[in-house]
Amino acid sequence: MRTEQTMTLEIFRYHPETDSEPYFQAYEVPYDEDWVVLDAINWIKDHVDGSLTHRWSCRMGVCGSCGMMVNGDPKLTCAAFLKDYYPRPIKVEPLVNFPVERDLVVSLDGFMEKLQAVKPYIIRDDVNDTTGGEYRQSPAELARYKQYSMCINCMLCYSACPVAGHEEEFLGPAALALGHRYNRDSRDRGRAERLDVMLAGEAIWGCTFVGECTVVCPKHVDPAGAIQQAKAVAAQEYFKRFVMPRGAKGAET
Amino acid sequence: MSGRYHRPHGWAWFLARPGYLRFMARELTGFFVAGYLVLLLVTLCRLGAGEAAFAQWLQELSTPSWMFAHVVALVASVWHSVTWFAAVPQAMPIFMGEKRLPAPLAAVVMGYGPWLTVTAVIVWGVLR
Ligand code: SF4
Ligand code: FES
Repeated sequence: MRTEQTMTLEIFRYHPETDSEPYFQAYEVPYDEDWVVLDAINWIKDHVDGSLTHRWSCRMGVCGSCGMMVNGDPKLTCAAFLKDYYPRPIKVEPLVNFPVERDLVVSLDGFMEKLQAVKPYIIRDDVNDTTGGEYRQSPAELARYKQYSMCINCMLCYSACPVAGHEEEFLGPAALALGHRYNRDSRDRGRAERLDVMLAGEAIWGCTFVGECTVVCPKHVDPAGAIQQAKAVAAQEYFKRFVMPRGAKGAET
Repeated sequence: MSGRYHRPHGWAWFLARPGYLRFMARELTGFFVAGYLVLLLVTLCRLGAGEAAFAQWLQELSTPSWMFAHVVALVASVWHSVTWFAAVPQAMPIFMGEKRLPAPLAAVVMGYGPWLTVTAVIVWGVLR
């Protein structure tokens, strides 16, 4: 419901062709208790400043594209209500731990590379062979990975992770949770291939279990839990490869 | 000008979120656990050095400053253990068919329950 009141949004601005440093710009927006932060940003873009740049799509917590820092917390701005901050000003910044392209838009390049690195798809030799019918899976087998398949790639977990910001080799919460998701899928045979990637350098061992990725995840994926489970699997594999350098690799359990 | 902007990383990153501070507190309590292990090793060495050396060591340990250090180490160790066992269900999920054992119950079954049982047995053994 729209009222006479207004609210202030302090927004991070950075246009690479004109700005050498970012700065904050304050905007006065109408206060509507049904509005989310994304509505206010869209209102500014439509009515005040068309040069303000941000990403969004679904406005319903599904596409994962509207993640920003709201008062220092990584949030989906389509799920962050103004009424939870009113009447204090809201500071909106692009997600931390990512390079800023422009205003509230960050670069996805590194994240996409990390997602691809864990081979997030079913790997098996007979993947195109359907002569035997479907690849069946029981509800119990589905339950073992379902939680980790709910990720919407919003990258909030990377902004909450101090290691992701400091250690380039670390694959990060969402990518590792996704790798773990496929490793736990009863139809998959690609665990050894993924562990090759996860065991390299700080790819998984960079995680110190701070746990804030799980706290901020809007889809309750629990990437921190997935990483600790994946570490246990990786440690077993590491030990097997150490004891049997030839035999262990490729073995499926 | 032009190009992507990389925000600087400060040394005080752990002040950015309360969760980071909790993490640092948990890590720091590990030093007390390690320190107490060293103390136990020294105690063992004194025991090996003979009855008189051990008695003198015990007397040194009963000074107020050592007592205070013991209380601090106990609080730190308990906090470390409590937070450690609270995290166990995340790292070791237990499934019964389609259902996952709820985290608080799993923490009791895999962590707090055995911990308290072993502690109770040790206390009983010492006090009896
Ligand atoms: S794990 Fe959660 S926070 Fe991380 S990208 Fe996926 S949905 Fe977003
Ligand atoms: S706009 Fe799609 S998740 Fe927010």
